[in-house]
Amino acid sequence: MRLLAAVHLTVFAAASLTNVFPKIAASASYSFGGSNMLAAQIEQGAPADVFASADTKLPAQLHARGLCGTPVVFTRNALVIVVPRSNPARIHTVSDLTRRGVKVDVAAAGVPVGDYTTKVLHTLRLLTAVTKNIVSRETDVRSVLSKVALGEADAGFVYATDAKTVAGKVTLITLPGRAQPDVRYAACVVSTTRHGGAAKAFVTALLGSSAQAKLRAAGFLSRR
Amino acid sequence: MTRLAAVIAVGAASFVALAFLLLPIVAIFARTSPAHLVHQLSNPVVRDAFVVSLKTSAVAQVLIILFGTPAAYLLASRRFPGHALAVTLVELPLVLPPAVAGIGLLAAFGRFGLLGSSLHTLGVTLPFTQAAVTIAVAYVASPLYVRQAIAAFEATDPSLAAASRTLGAGPVRTFFRVVLPLARGGLIAGLALSFARGLGEFGATIMFAGSLQRVTQTLPLAIYAEFDQNFSATLAMSGVLVLVSVLLLLALRIGLTWQRSTSTTSLSLFGLSHSN
Repeated sequence: MRLLAAVHLTVFAAASLTNVFPKIAASASYSFGGSNMLAAQIEQGAPADVFASADTKLPAQLHARGLCGTPVVFTRNALVIVVPRSNPARIHTVSDLTRRGVKVDVAAAGVPVGDYTTKVLHTLRLLTAVTKNIVSRETDVRSVLSKVALGEADAGFVYATDAKTVAGKVTLITLPGRAQPDVRYAACVVSTTRHGGAAKAFVTALLGSSAQAKLRAAGFLSRR
Repeated sequence: MTRLAAVIAVGAASFVALAFLLLPIVAIFARTSPAHLVHQLSNPVVRDAFVVSLKTSAVAQVLIILFGTPAAYLLASRRFPGHALAVTLVELPLVLPPAVAGIGLLAAFGRFGLLGSSLHTLGVTLPFTQAAVTIAVAYVASPLYVRQAIAAFEATDPSLAAASRTLGAGPVRTFFRVVLPLARGGLIAGLALSFARGLGEFGATIMFAGSLQRVTQTLPLAIYAEFDQNFSATLAMSGVLVLVSVLLLLALRIGLTWQRSTSTTSLSLFGLSHSN
């Protein structure tokens, strides 16, 4: 990523990319958060050069409004359930989440991981039962992760890559294959950027073998 | 000539300072009409957040008065070893970053916290409950009340309390009939400040209590949550909070004026009251 050394890029990226993006491009400045919050900030004129979202919907919406270039899918992820290592509520399958008194933490509606969670629960016909046990709707996936890692929540829905970052503190429960949502990450160059060339190079580099290897090492799936 | 330049410079600086402080507030109302504000109050997210905020703040303020007033009176009327340290510690949450307060509350009252683990075995779990919101609000807001109450009690003329005692009134009666009426202006001012701080609480609440509509989502949390979903709802909620803040500021002013007219010595708080 030699091109990036010359200019200082500001990258707005999904919270789930917090650990891996600095490894891909160390010189850029990052603002990590819920993709929906970042998109709203870009709409209000925030000075981002690149937007990397945990879904394809938000970049497509910005693109449709002329706020960013054509989105490029650069990686994928899987949704999982995490429970504290001590597993106080003894959760072993997704249906255990419907048991009375289980404290389930999720991301808010509009946050990509929150919408994927709703979709999964809907597919499994568990939405109403689990919604009763939801204790908080967080602003991004990492807030869900930390509430579970601390042991305050009994279970939470996060990405497989998030679970890896606190491996010693949480146990991962995979979802039935038929319920697994298609979690695709898309990046685009923000239209108001003053570093169009470098921003485009950043997005292109995400598809390169070096970035892809680092994404895979962090547990992300090939973009297919 | 230099004098004129100085006058112009001071005038210009003052204008910039005032405009800077007022512009964001003007902008909130410029982008939302009173009709829209009223209309948004029927939005369930806005209404629920308003109720949660009001409920938790009210309970927190009652607790602050019940526990804070005796503590403030003790700190104002007695000198004991460690007095200065106690007064400083009371003020600590005031300068603590809210995120640190949130971590502290989790470490203390969380499921695996210092006190929280014992509470948990008793069947009480605080995080994610309305009680947790109330605790967060009380934690960050109470120092403002206690600090102001200490100043109010210290400003009351001790000879009046002494006279009451010589006339045969007991300490309890003296406190309620003499000291409290003398200090009430300052106490109201403290309550207004503490209410305002509590109503705006964000960081400690989202960490310790989470955010769930109808349960723990207060107005500031709802503003943050709705920012990307419904910008006009966030403007309406912000407008409500500005109006409440103006009312609280008014209460603070009235309280301080009242305190100055009832107590015999001057009282100063953040430069809000003029020394007499």
